[in-house]
Amino acid sequence: MLMTSDLRVGTVFKSGKDVVVVQRMLGNKGGRGGVVVKMRVKNLLTGSTADLGLDSGEKFEEVMLDQHKMRLSFIDGDNYVFMDQESFEQYELTKEDLGDNAQYITPEDDFDVEITFYEGKPVGVVLPISIERTITYCEPGIKGDTSGKSTKPATLDSGCVVQVPLFCDIGTRIRLDTRDGTFQERVK
Amino acid sequence: MTIDALCRVVDNYGDIGVVYRLARALSALPDPPRLRLVVDDLSAFNLLEPEVDPALPVQSLRGWTVLDWAGPDAAGSPPGSSARAYADAYADGPPSVVLECFACGRPDWLEEALFDDSRYRGAGGAVAERTVVNLEYLSAEAYPDEFHRLPSLTRSSSVRKYMFMPGFTPATGGLILDREFVEAVRLAAEPGPRRALRAAIAGGLGLSADPDRFWALLFGYERDYGTIVDDLAALSRSTPTVVFAAAGKSLPCVVAAWERAGRPFELVRLPFISQRDWDRLLAAADFSLVRGEDSLSRAALAGRPFLWHAYPQGGDQSLKVRGLVERMRPFFGPDDFAPLEAAFEAVNDRIDDSPTVRGSERVSAMLEPSAGVRAGFAAFSETLLKNGDLAANLMTFLRGLV
Repeated sequence: MLMTSDLRVGTVFKSGKDVVVVQRMLGNKGGRGGVVVKMRVKNLLTGSTADLGLDSGEKFEEVMLDQHKMRLSFIDGDNYVFMDQESFEQYELTKEDLGDNAQYITPEDDFDVEITFYEGKPVGVVLPISIERTITYCEPGIKGDTSGKSTKPATLDSGCVVQVPLFCDIGTRIRLDTRDGTFQERVK
Repeated sequence: MTIDALCRVVDNYGDIGVVYRLARALSALPDPPRLRLVVDDLSAFNLLEPEVDPALPVQSLRGWTVLDWAGPDAAGSPPGSSARAYADAYADGPPSVVLECFACGRPDWLEEALFDDSRYRGAGGAVAERTVVNLEYLSAEAYPDEFHRLPSLTRSSSVRKYMFMPGFTPATGGLILDREFVEAVRLAAEPGPRRALRAAIAGGLGLSADPDRFWALLFGYERDYGTIVDDLAALSRSTPTVVFAAAGKSLPCVVAAWERAGRPFELVRLPFISQRDWDRLLAAADFSLVRGEDSLSRAALAGRPFLWHAYPQGGDQSLKVRGLVERMRPFFGPDDFAPLEAAFEAVNDRIDDSPTVRGSERVSAMLEPSAGVRAGFAAFSETLLKNGDLAANLMTFLRGLV
């Protein structure tokens, strides 16, 4: 069974007869009673999306769907085309299908991702937990401040903005946690 | 409508305190719901409401049914001894509206019933839907506005779930405006009725506190209260002052600071008092330092100067305090608000409060408030009252669903 804390973008689970995929994490708050999370999910049976609030008390049945290892071929507008590295078949997903994951991907990426299939159709992408990205814009770095406790916003080559330590600079290569967009470390 | 309100006592009495207050507020509404209160610590409940018998797994109180979370045939009880009482409590059917307070989860015996569709099948074979609402903790941060009334999910399509957020804005469910407390606030707003209220409080608690003195109430976590005691001592030189030190973690710290300062004012060591007495004392105080979300809500509604000592939460308390400060700011002029903001930050400036580290909070601006400070706290309270009663808002929400 999945707890709320196990849910991440791309996770597919059952709520009654419905099968839903997490598309976006829209915020969370920790408290004495546990975490409460706001997320956008897509119902794979009806195609409808909804914003939900989940507390830490519920458990859900994970839906084990077919997953195939693929790589991004190209991006065409809001369409992301992935290629199966064994069969060389191509599959297209929309930016909406990718949800939050779209913000971490660039056309140049060559890392493997897992494409989730439901009834023969690709419905979501599970990224590696840790990926590398390059900072394209941030305020100038502060040398010597290596504590990482103070942060500043930085735009990455994929277009998203994340918080990074003050010592980072334009051109710094960083490792990022795709589950929540947090900075992990500077890539040396 | 019958509501099963669930409560687990995590620490101290905040959780059960809110549930007890909410139950009273719900019951005071026109066309009130029937209530079953499922509580995991009846001893804690008994301290707030002495009529609760901690030894009875199923009992009646104020027209509610109070059930022990442990359920029928809990460990240690003779087999079958309480099964009949639980069955009687649900004689009119299994739970249909469940209020989880503070994401407390659900007891196994209730979970089993709630998710068993066969128990909800009607004559035509249709399965009746059940509704679960998670009532969250009070926070002045921005997120309750976003999370309030959001749909949630359970593992069954027949059990719908929603979030319900208390809060300080009209976009939330508001605060509980239980009749007794609001009446005490109303009485405390005028000198004559306040004097009578204070005399009644002192008489009821067997205290000799003079109702004409400045009343200060201190109820926080462990810390050095020397700075606050110094400011109270300065006040007492011109204004006769009595300080009520509430039972709990802050009591020995307050007493120690008072002793070190040479006992500069009258200090009353409060025993643990009932919620009703606590509410009346908070409503009648000229200044209060409070901890916990429930006492925060009461202090804010009281409309007089208060300071909130937030639960130390690994640094997260600063976000909560900042949220509250920002909610209060619009009600004060910048000059009036600066010392208040500084006091809120100073009293919450450490992750781990220590009884040996003297705090820098100065509270004189709250002990001898300017007209602007006085008006600001009153206006903040008025606005919170206008947001409506959480109990009424909750019932409106539930009636729209069920």
